[in-house]
Amino acid sequence: MILTGLIDLWSSSWQAGVTMLVLAAGFALVLLIASIKLKVQVDPKVEQILTALPGVDCGACGFAGCSAYAKAVAANPELIGKCAPGGDNVSGKIAEILSLAVSGSGVPVRPIVHCKAHTGDKTFFGQYDGIPTCTSANALANVQACKFGCLGFGDCVASCKFDAIHIIDGLAVIDYEKCTGCTACSKACPRGLIEMVPFTSNVMMTVACKSQESGKDTKDFCKVGCIGCKMCTKKNDAFEMATNYARLNYEKYQPGESFTEAMEKCPTKVIVYRGKKT
Amino acid sequence: MDIKCTGKLTFKGGVHPPGYKELSEHSRIKSVPAPKQLSIMLSQHIGAICKPLVMKKNYVTLGQVIGSADAFVSAPIHSPVNGTVKNIALSSHPVLGRAESIIIETGEDNQVKEPSADKFNENFDPGKYTPEQIFEAVRNAGIVGMGGAGFPTSVKLKANPDSPIRAVIINGCECEPFITCDYRIMLEWTNQIIAGALLAAKALNCENIYIGIEDNKQKAVTAFRQAVEKMPAASEIEVVAVKTKYPQGGERQLIKSILGKDVPAGGIPPMIGVLVNNVATAAAIADAVVFGSPLTHRPVTVSGSGVKNPGNFYAPIGMTAGDLIELAGGLTDDAVKVILGGPMMGFAVADLSTPMTKTGGAITVLTAKEIGSIRMRSKETPCIRCGRCIEACSMNINPTKIAHAVKHNLLDIAEQYHMSVCIECGCCSYVCPADIDVAGLIKTGKILAARAKKLMPK
Repeated sequence: MILTGLIDLWSSSWQAGVTMLVLAAGFALVLLIASIKLKVQVDPKVEQILTALPGVDCGACGFAGCSAYAKAVAANPELIGKCAPGGDNVSGKIAEILSLAVSGSGVPVRPIVHCKAHTGDKTFFGQYDGIPTCTSANALANVQACKFGCLGFGDCVASCKFDAIHIIDGLAVIDYEKCTGCTACSKACPRGLIEMVPFTSNVMMTVACKSQESGKDTKDFCKVGCIGCKMCTKKNDAFEMATNYARLNYEKYQPGESFTEAMEKCPTKVIVYRGKKT
Repeated sequence: MDIKCTGKLTFKGGVHPPGYKELSEHSRIKSVPAPKQLSIMLSQHIGAICKPLVMKKNYVTLGQVIGSADAFVSAPIHSPVNGTVKNIALSSHPVLGRAESIIIETGEDNQVKEPSADKFNENFDPGKYTPEQIFEAVRNAGIVGMGGAGFPTSVKLKANPDSPIRAVIINGCECEPFITCDYRIMLEWTNQIIAGALLAAKALNCENIYIGIEDNKQKAVTAFRQAVEKMPAASEIEVVAVKTKYPQGGERQLIKSILGKDVPAGGIPPMIGVLVNNVATAAAIADAVVFGSPLTHRPVTVSGSGVKNPGNFYAPIGMTAGDLIELAGGLTDDAVKVILGGPMMGFAVADLSTPMTKTGGAITVLTAKEIGSIRMRSKETPCIRCGRCIEACSMNINPTKIAHAVKHNLLDIAEQYHMSVCIECGCCSYVCPADIDVAGLIKTGKILAARAKKLMPK
């Protein structure tokens, strides 16, 4: 009974089956032609570079993410070394893939926060109760007395993909063990306090203040501001005067006695070491 | 004429905050003696920041140029007093935080400057002045838009043959709560403002002049209608009463109300052949062209329940907020918030040594009762998608969408929803039932977008 039923079904509908088969073959042919004619050329180098990159999409290179950077660097090898989290290691790998010889400078570039004022050191005229981000607060005058110091709302913390920067008692503090030097925090700071500095030694000396106020006002506004007394510039010419504050020319910095002396002479103790704790 | 006395003319959106004008609207504009010390900001306007032309210990006289810049979009700065330059240093600035200013110590020979409104009468004739003369006089007088934006007026008065100005609108709306200085000058300096309007129109060779006033200022409307009738040269001026609504005084909103035209997004009124000037600016133009006197003093309202005697003053530019509050009787015990400008668009300051600039027409002091709990941000609750901000938006954009995009750092989405079109009037924050600072977030987004553009790799 079942067998007869099946034979009936076959004899009544074999045409439909054949039609389907012909159609399938036709479409397969179209796809086959399309896959040959419209093939997208993927550079195997791009794929290789992408696997070599850290894959965190931090944007430090200035491109939209690792895959965008991989494409760009394959097309233009001059961009090697833009990957800050990967560092020399990744640069080397990319150079190998692109069969180039790249000699890394070997000096890691890391951010330094140019402010030393914790909440207790700052002066406040009023209470800010607006949107709690640095960019919003910076749009308003007098959020804190010092217009140049760390606001402590943590735009840099939000920008960091490596959990390497934290607000500790009103001041952004970098954890150099975790920092990869991706520059995201320096771009996020609305006051431009976080600068990228070549770390020629494990710890770097810095003048942790950028206050352009006159010495008297700086002193009124902050307990640990640079008052522009020029004491350090007399000890070592690596210290240069900017608008009412001293800044260290990091290129000229060599750990040495005259620097230690300048640090000790600083009346507000704003010259400090920043870097890995060793 | 009566058809337009109760202003039906309006724009879409906006809010109706309580006016609080009664606090100071009956107080005549008082000329005040200059305080001991003035801080004249070098950045008082949009455009190139001025360079100081004087040195420490120099003696300066009233009206002497003390700062200028070569750029076309800029305005020179003049000394409002006779006195000695004490220092050139950073001072608190309501917007920039800290900015360079010239600090002048007032000399003993200084005289109180009186407004020149009495010297204008109905016989004023703009025919005596050529457009070039008017432009030069306005440029040399350092006049900037005194309604708040601070765009150099001389730039607006330079006739451009490619886009002729077909209508001049004098903005007497003063839609912000508390502020009454424009209302007072409209009553007291009526002829001077009309003279300024005629001169501005003459500089641009334009014949249609409108004076737009909100219909809650009936006295000002009547005063202008009478003055226009009496003045033969001003017969063409149309005094228009517009609907009382915030932000009626925004130039785009006022153009929409009076002329029914839209200023294109990202564009400026001259693109559609319209020039808008504030009444105080018009008065300053008349002063500059007729008497050659530079912009050194301006009307200021000090109001709010946080000051003892709210009033209107004709004060020298560079006077600190603290000095002006002293003139109004000082702060009350429960005053908690000092705002330079009105409560909707002003900037809160915490440092009373912040000096007034050419654009600052008011100081509003609010009490704890008025602003509610001091910790506003803890009151914020999630958006409930009620759409009230969209209804209230005077620029027809979607504020909540932009605000949320900015909150999550999605600047491209914010840009897609026309973030840059926002005029930051604050209606969205005002109506938000969830207490979200919508306008603040949009402003933050604009700053972030500008910075991202600067940092973009080539």
